[in-house]
Amino acid sequence: MSAGVGVDLENLWIRFGDFVAVRDANVNIKGGDFFSFLGPSGCGKTTILRAVSGFLDPSEGNVLIGGNNMQGIGPNKRPTALIFQNLALFPLMKVWENITFSMEIQGASARERRKRADELLDMIALPGQGDKLPSELSGGQKQRVAIARALCAEPDVLLLDEPLSALDLKLRQHMRTELREIQQRVGITFIYITHDQGEALTMSDDIAVMRAGVIDQIGDGKTIYNDPSTAFAASFVGENNVFRGKVSKIIGNEALISTNRSGELHARISTANQGKLQVGDDAMMFIRPEALSLAPTGTQGDHYVTAQVNHEEFEGNTYNIFTEGDGGKEIKISIPNLGQSFDDHTGQPITLEYDVSNAVVVPAGELASE
Amino acid sequence: MNPDKIIRYSIWIYLAIFFAYLLGPLIIMSATAFNSPGFPRMTPWECLTFDWFGALFRDERILNGIWNSVLVGIGTVIMSVSMGLAGALMLTQIWPKLRATYYTIIIAPILIPGVVLGISTLVFWDRINRMLGLGADSFLSNGLFLTIIGQSTFIASYCMLVLVARLQRYDMTLTEAALDLGATHAQAFRKVLMPFMFPAIASAGVLAFLASFENYNTTTFTFGEYPTLTIELAQKVRYGITPAISALAFMIVALTVFFALVNEANIKRKALIAEARKDATVGELAGKVEVPGFLSRNPAAIALIVLLIGTATVVGSAMAYSPDQCIAGVQEQKRLETERRIQELRDQRAKDAAEKSQQEGGAETQSTPKPSNNSGFGSVFAPGTLEGSDSDAGDAAPTDSGGNNSGFGNVFDPNALQNDDN
Amino acid sequence: MPGFLKEFFNRNGTLMGSIMLGLVLFWVIGLIILPQLSMLDFSFRPNLPPPEIGGPKDVYTLENYKYLIYGPEGGSQDYNAVDLAVFYRTLVAAVLVTLFNLAFCYPIAYYLGQTKGNHIRIFALMLIIPYWINEILRAFALRIIFGETGVFNTLLVGSGIFDTPFDFIRNDVALYAGLGYAYILLMIFPIYNVIESLDHNQIEAARDLGAPWWRIHWRVVIPYAKPGISSGCTMVFMLSAGALAAPQILGGPSSLWFTQLIYQQFNDNSDWPQGAAYAIVLLVTCILLVLAVMRLFKVNMGDIGK
Repeated sequence: MSAGVGVDLENLWIRFGDFVAVRDANVNIKGGDFFSFLGPSGCGKTTILRAVSGFLDPSEGNVLIGGNNMQGIGPNKRPTALIFQNLALFPLMKVWENITFSMEIQGASARERRKRADELLDMIALPGQGDKLPSELSGGQKQRVAIARALCAEPDVLLLDEPLSALDLKLRQHMRTELREIQQRVGITFIYITHDQGEALTMSDDIAVMRAGVIDQIGDGKTIYNDPSTAFAASFVGENNVFRGKVSKIIGNEALISTNRSGELHARISTANQGKLQVGDDAMMFIRPEALSLAPTGTQGDHYVTAQVNHEEFEGNTYNIFTEGDGGKEIKISIPNLGQSFDDHTGQPITLEYDVSNAVVVPAGELASE
Repeated sequence: MNPDKIIRYSIWIYLAIFFAYLLGPLIIMSATAFNSPGFPRMTPWECLTFDWFGALFRDERILNGIWNSVLVGIGTVIMSVSMGLAGALMLTQIWPKLRATYYTIIIAPILIPGVVLGISTLVFWDRINRMLGLGADSFLSNGLFLTIIGQSTFIASYCMLVLVARLQRYDMTLTEAALDLGATHAQAFRKVLMPFMFPAIASAGVLAFLASFENYNTTTFTFGEYPTLTIELAQKVRYGITPAISALAFMIVALTVFFALVNEANIKRKALIAEARKDATVGELAGKVEVPGFLSRNPAAIALIVLLIGTATVVGSAMAYSPDQCIAGVQEQKRLETERRIQELRDQRAKDAAEKSQQEGGAETQSTPKPSNNSGFGSVFAPGTLEGSDSDAGDAAPTDSGGNNSGFGNVFDPNALQNDDN
Repeated sequence: MPGFLKEFFNRNGTLMGSIMLGLVLFWVIGLIILPQLSMLDFSFRPNLPPPEIGGPKDVYTLENYKYLIYGPEGGSQDYNAVDLAVFYRTLVAAVLVTLFNLAFCYPIAYYLGQTKGNHIRIFALMLIIPYWINEILRAFALRIIFGETGVFNTLLVGSGIFDTPFDFIRNDVALYAGLGYAYILLMIFPIYNVIESLDHNQIEAARDLGAPWWRIHWRVVIPYAKPGISSGCTMVFMLSAGALAAPQILGGPSSLWFTQLIYQQFNDNSDWPQGAAYAIVLLVTCILLVLAVMRLFKVNMGDIGK
């Protein structure tokens, strides 16, 4: 992959009056990467995107694109192109005029523009649709026109602000693949904003998880999923079961947690917190539903949990068991359906087993609300 | 009859009364433009004539007034649409705490009486003029400038309301998208915002021109040496009315209806095209869109064509038609009528005299002409002396005469003189 | 505020931002605020010939306001009965015209707002067309109708109801009809706009619950249409109180409108400060009246013009 233009955020603060929208963000996005900001709505991820595209001035800190400080450079002078959440296709212009708007600004002739539009329309698989109006296109088609319009400006960095959120599920999943393909074909840096962890995980090279203006963790999808560094990251990305407690003992990179309800449990300390977590600290332990399995009832040990089954669900590819958990939250166990026989456990006590490497300890913190 | 039916009938009766009130005066006024008497009236119908249109076009003051109105109108449209647009854009992005105050201020001119606006404009610019040490002939005390400024003060508020309604449906991210694609602010404004706003700007412009054209209250204080059409009309109407004004009114009504129909036909046509595009296949779009015939399913367009044919017929026949014979006929008839009355009167007198000789009293009351008889005494003096004026023109000055009986009106009638002016 | 300004220029660009700000400032300050203040200031000054303006005699005085109440100094009467009567009559008549228009226009606004069909567009067009005709010409049309040999008198006398022509002009019938006529549209459109957005199901529901038609209007439609009604009433009241053309053309010889007094002060007496004082009195009284009524019916200023 060609080395595209990187984007750096240095000590970036953005305030609106007393409200801090972005707090001391430091991000280093490599050229040619597909980079996602993942977080719930209102966490400041769109604000970061607007600061990168130039619609907002940072209160403090810098935005660097390709190593150049963008301070004082307006959105129309930056080598970025933004795909808006609502796409912002110009409703009165035909599709080909929309796509080549950036060329019109530069004074290109209609013939050149027409030619370029046809090329891009071929690329986005909408050949011959140039004379339609945006209102005459379907949602997915509009989506692709917006991408073509942004690409026509030949930006070094393409910024995407939740562009798939208006589409239905099927189309969304299809567009994920398509976006990733386009990114790999053109080889420029994509910065993608989403609250959908599925989108972030499937498309991104790297992900930044954001919460209330703060970047909690930056890493590739596997790291974020398997080795979260905060309680928020652990609970926001994918489903997770939480066990609250205190650190009672530290053994190298592992720890014993005396949990409020399930006794003393053994787990791995997440990489970012190794050496930082102390005995006596409030901590949270996370185990994914698929990392739990059924053990013979009554088995004892520091990687066994006993629980009362509330109810069960059959979801096709998995059996889900919901048990009474810790701190009001249920513990969910997913058992893959491999055609085995499965007993109904409703109302019974069961014992759950996990691998210590799959249980992650982080300092106690705010959880993502469902 | 069941209650539902009663309600339905009363709705239709109400609608009929409503539109009679709304349109009746205009129709009657228009009709008087084609009747020959010198005072605008519909009854009795004497002769169909087109002379009042000729009189209108020979009236220098009216023509000059139209010219001034157009000048003022153009200035006002430019000023109030641009101020209204700026005001509307500002409203969408002003500091929220200031918004209510700001809105109150820019909406206030609609509610301030036009008289007050006229006076304040006059007083303020007169003061500025004096502060700058300019003479009475500077452009600041020029009627054209003052009228445009005075009218724009409140017309801009109307424009602002029209524009803000459209602007609220504008997606601000479109401007951002244009900037993001490399456009300057001016380019984004011109290529994205303006095309979107264009329909509203056009209607604001039309509204501004019409409001300016018909404005009287403000202009009456500021016009100076540039009396607009409305000012000229007001002068004429206050000091005596002629069917030439009806002729002008008829033309304005006809033009209004014409443009309303053009607009309506156009809207319908666009809707039909949009409908056709929606059904069109990709191939049709790439090649040619078959626009449905201008007339099919478009009643406004049909009405428009009927109106045009009608106008052409009327104008054509007006060229060929001469009402002189009819007018002469009417005059002859009137003369005969008058003679008959005089004869009757004589007979009556003779009879009275005969009766009087027999029994006394009562003669005086009997000889008084019936008050309901409008063409009473006037006719006795009028037809021979005043050409073309009819016997009832005394109404022209009801405010002067106190509108009592129509008897002697003709002799003192200002209209008798006015007819010569025309 | 500088922060706000900086953001404003960032958002609109320096050139477009300056043009926009310049236009708005010119309009708001140069055309709206300063002229009104200037007129207020002027109304407190004596009427002086131009060379003496700014001279030693140019001091603030209440003379112009006193004149409205007490009449000319040394006058025969204690109060300026004529002008005060005209003022009072103008306000009362404007209120009556407003109420008449409301009663007359509400049904059609409701009908247009809640009925569907092609004929509604035609009705709307028929409503707008008279409004595009010159104000003077509309008054002129009514004068033709109400004249002594106008259509009404011809009908009334011809059918034998009256045996002499009725003087509609002297009796102010023509004037009130003309004022009502002039502002019909300003009453209809605000009400129509609101009623059009009223969900017809609400009315159906009320009917379904057995409410008679007048109660549906009283409890459902009118409360909903309140912003439009107040907007329409405010405009009609302010405009009819400030009307000049209709009273000049349709008014009887003895009945003046307050704006005509202002006009006389300006054009016939050349007493600008006096005219300005009368204008201020009219403006302030009207605004206070409107605000009082709006407070009474709990309506916001922001609803006006919607």
